[in-house]
Amino acid sequence: MTDRIQKMYDYYVKDKAHHEFRQPETDKYRYAVKYKEQGLCDTDRAVYRLRDVLNEEKPVVFPDEKIVLLRTVRTLPEIFTEDEFKEISSKHYIHEQGKVCNICPDYTNLLKYGFAAKKAEIENKAEEFAKAGKKEEAGYEQALISTIETVQHFMERYAQEAEKSGNDYAAVTLRKLINDAPETLAEALQYLRIIHYCLWCSFNYHNGLGRFDQYMYPYFEKDMKEGRIDKDSALELIEEFFLSLNKDSDLYTGMQQGDNGQSMMLGGLNRDGSESFNELSDICLQASLELKLIDPKINLRVNKKTPLSEYIRGTELTKVGIGFPQYSNDDVVFEALRRWGYDEDDIYDYTVAACWEFIIPGYGTDIVNVNGMSFPKCVIASINKLEQFDDFDALMEDVRCEIFKESDRLRETAANVYMEPSPMMSLVMNGCVENGRDVSKGCKYNNYGFHGTGIATAVDSLASVRKYVFEDKKLTKEEMLTAVRNDFRGNDELLNELRYEGPKFGNDDDRTDEIAVKLLDWFADALEGHKNDVGGVYRAGTGSAMYYIWQSENEQATPDGRRKGEQFAANYSPSIFTRLDGPFSIIKSFSKPHLERVSNGGPLTIELSDTMFRNGEAVEKTAAFVKTFIDLGGHQMQINAVNLETLKDAKLHPENHRNLIVRVWGWSGYFVELDECYQNQIMKRMQLII
Amino acid sequence: MKGIIFDIKQMAVFDGPGIRTTVFMKGCPLRCRWCHNPEGLSFTPQLMVSDNGCQKCGKCMDKCEHKDKCISCGECVRVCPMHLRRIVGTEYTPEELAARLLKDKVIYEMNGGGITLSGGEPTAQPEFIIALLKKLEGIHRAVETCGYCAPDIFRTVLDHVDYVMMDLKLIDEKQHEYWTGKSNRLILQNLEQLKKSGKPFVIRIPLIPGVNDTYENKVQTAGLLTDADNLQFVELLPYHTTAGAKYGMIDRCYEPGFDTDRAVDTDISAFKKYDIPVKVL
Repeated sequence: MTDRIQKMYDYYVKDKAHHEFRQPETDKYRYAVKYKEQGLCDTDRAVYRLRDVLNEEKPVVFPDEKIVLLRTVRTLPEIFTEDEFKEISSKHYIHEQGKVCNICPDYTNLLKYGFAAKKAEIENKAEEFAKAGKKEEAGYEQALISTIETVQHFMERYAQEAEKSGNDYAAVTLRKLINDAPETLAEALQYLRIIHYCLWCSFNYHNGLGRFDQYMYPYFEKDMKEGRIDKDSALELIEEFFLSLNKDSDLYTGMQQGDNGQSMMLGGLNRDGSESFNELSDICLQASLELKLIDPKINLRVNKKTPLSEYIRGTELTKVGIGFPQYSNDDVVFEALRRWGYDEDDIYDYTVAACWEFIIPGYGTDIVNVNGMSFPKCVIASINKLEQFDDFDALMEDVRCEIFKESDRLRETAANVYMEPSPMMSLVMNGCVENGRDVSKGCKYNNYGFHGTGIATAVDSLASVRKYVFEDKKLTKEEMLTAVRNDFRGNDELLNELRYEGPKFGNDDDRTDEIAVKLLDWFADALEGHKNDVGGVYRAGTGSAMYYIWQSENEQATPDGRRKGEQFAANYSPSIFTRLDGPFSIIKSFSKPHLERVSNGGPLTIELSDTMFRNGEAVEKTAAFVKTFIDLGGHQMQINAVNLETLKDAKLHPENHRNLIVRVWGWSGYFVELDECYQNQIMKRMQLII
Repeated sequence: MKGIIFDIKQMAVFDGPGIRTTVFMKGCPLRCRWCHNPEGLSFTPQLMVSDNGCQKCGKCMDKCEHKDKCISCGECVRVCPMHLRRIVGTEYTPEELAARLLKDKVIYEMNGGGITLSGGEPTAQPEFIIALLKKLEGIHRAVETCGYCAPDIFRTVLDHVDYVMMDLKLIDEKQHEYWTGKSNRLILQNLEQLKKSGKPFVIRIPLIPGVNDTYENKVQTAGLLTDADNLQFVELLPYHTTAGAKYGMIDRCYEPGFDTDRAVDTDISAFKKYDIPVKVL
């Protein structure tokens, strides 16, 4: 990285010195009360909120920045008072905070045209609607115009500040972008920063960055052709943009710091079968590799034909230990999207929403994480009726019914959804301007996605009952039930056997894996054919988000030797209790289910010691391993080069890290099996590596 | 016929070409003072205990009926709530083990990988490994060996593998005997067979500080390798102080008898001198 980027890195990331510009926390209802008094409708409130937040903003520009904008307002205001929101909540299903979130805009809606042309287009539309007597739509177009004017006004203030701070470059760029579309890569990045920033200020959160390497490529290509940039200066620009995504991210809405949905998708198949991974994609990987920042989160689209070299590039990034890239398999995801009715024109453009849920930029207002289906909950319900079943098949049939019941229940909860309008987001979503209709009312795709939580716990529990009760007859049904109901108290040997020696999903044992195939099929079956109240379908998934904690907290012990309240494994991952046969077995088992039916999103998550990335040869082999999972038909994978924090946790809670492999000297060992002095030693070494 | 193994490790990335599964055969004729796999030395099953995470609940000792001398009965294994105890050493017939390894054939084939027999010392269970290697025909087979076995056994093993990784620890016979417990005469004899076999091979040297990391030993080693066209490269594995990690787990003391804190001399000029490709891992 250049000196300039290094300095910016130190300032923003290391020292966080820009926090000095932040304004004090304020009352989040500071405007809601006024809006209520003025009797404003929700759309007007949303327009005013952006205006009021941007007016509160104090522009900060540094002399050598090319991409400006800094958040100084800490507290984003609500548009409704508490009472008003309570009233709305009583009549509607509120997803998370009731905001438009977790989708991916099509930024080209503004990038290609600029504000002046977009405004002209909207004015025409407004006139058309007015002529046709469509008052509501005409009024909505006015809201969009006001939003553009608000942003333009804000940009003018920033341009003035840029002049004052002696950054003429930024002043000129900003003034141009007030009306005109960007023409160069630097301008396009500044423009994207403005849009993205204003989305956050509109209280939209988890705003995906989508296929950045595709929509930015024309600017890159033109600049390169005209000699305005070379690869090095392009890298510097991209790095500055990546840094900008980390300036304010601690102010963003999320479950945890870092959970902010700033995901970026690189590469992927084009409709004609060609590969879209380009020079700019590679520069993005390089930027992420050099900066080692948690934002943007890099995703790579791959398929059966993706060459090993691309996986190697990805694995070099994994080696850094930041937990990405995450890989998505086009071969599986295309098929999944087709099955759910996505148009052939759109599927080639898929990206991930915040984490891993697949979505179409600009078209998808899917609520991809509307709820989570707990597989263990269904299995426990059936196992509690164990005495009724004559054989394992009867138990399985009951599990199937429970999955249907639970899926039905979850479907029914997610109806009559209300979301706050967002004219700002509507400017970058397709169809909003054309139809005079806010994004909160839905765009082209309005499907609902469910996570599928705790699959390994569910499968292992059923396999355990089959083995110990129905086949080996080591336990009677009553004994098994008593054991789990008593949380295995006084039954150490049984607990030990079930937990550590029982059959596990991930050991490439067809009979156990077949249970996983069935459970996931039934989850898909249960949702198939149903429509939500906005005309969308339901998508089954294999992610867990936080549900693996929420849904396990109060759940009784399970026949896989999990005790009451113990967590399920996160995402689409094997049991965390015991060492499995190994990584080959895991990828083989986990690619057996019909993943194209359950591809709402949710990666197989595998952790490997960063010693598995020690030299070029090892990196290449680890890359080959990822490729193998994809080639076997896996849908999504994230692979972690385990870092120091994980090892520290492994020391404190070895039971959660049984499969953590470390290369010690000329040999590999399981970290938790080593004596403390050696663990410390390795941790020290890792400190040096990191 | 049965063989005894102490581990099977999938996704081995340092044990030969491609991504591999390594089988660790239990039992070894040598007693290298720096051995990092002490559970691989004896040919019989034994109890292995990890201390990490032990809650000192005492359930293992309550169960134990052989407190004076462990007979590896495994009774304590079944009561440890943290799963810190295991019996290391599992017997397999060649058919059973081959079936298990062949399950991942597709993965080896997709990645130019295969199966590596390591240890312990694989050639110390010759009938078993030859039977096993025959059953694995068609898959890339490698062996990691110390080279200490009867020459006819070594030759037969060579006939059934595609790739060899052989240790050369010390060239001086007396020194070799002192540090490993055995003369290196058989090893050097087998090295000659290996060179003549035409099989691609790698020579590995665990570099032990003050023992064999001297220029003299390296230059003697290099001198033996100048005429081997089938030598791929020499790999130097610098000693690491974690080598003793597993001794406590099998109730043994690690007494290497050399200064473990001394820096390893990883100078490669002796190999460069003879134009021998060399890597330091």
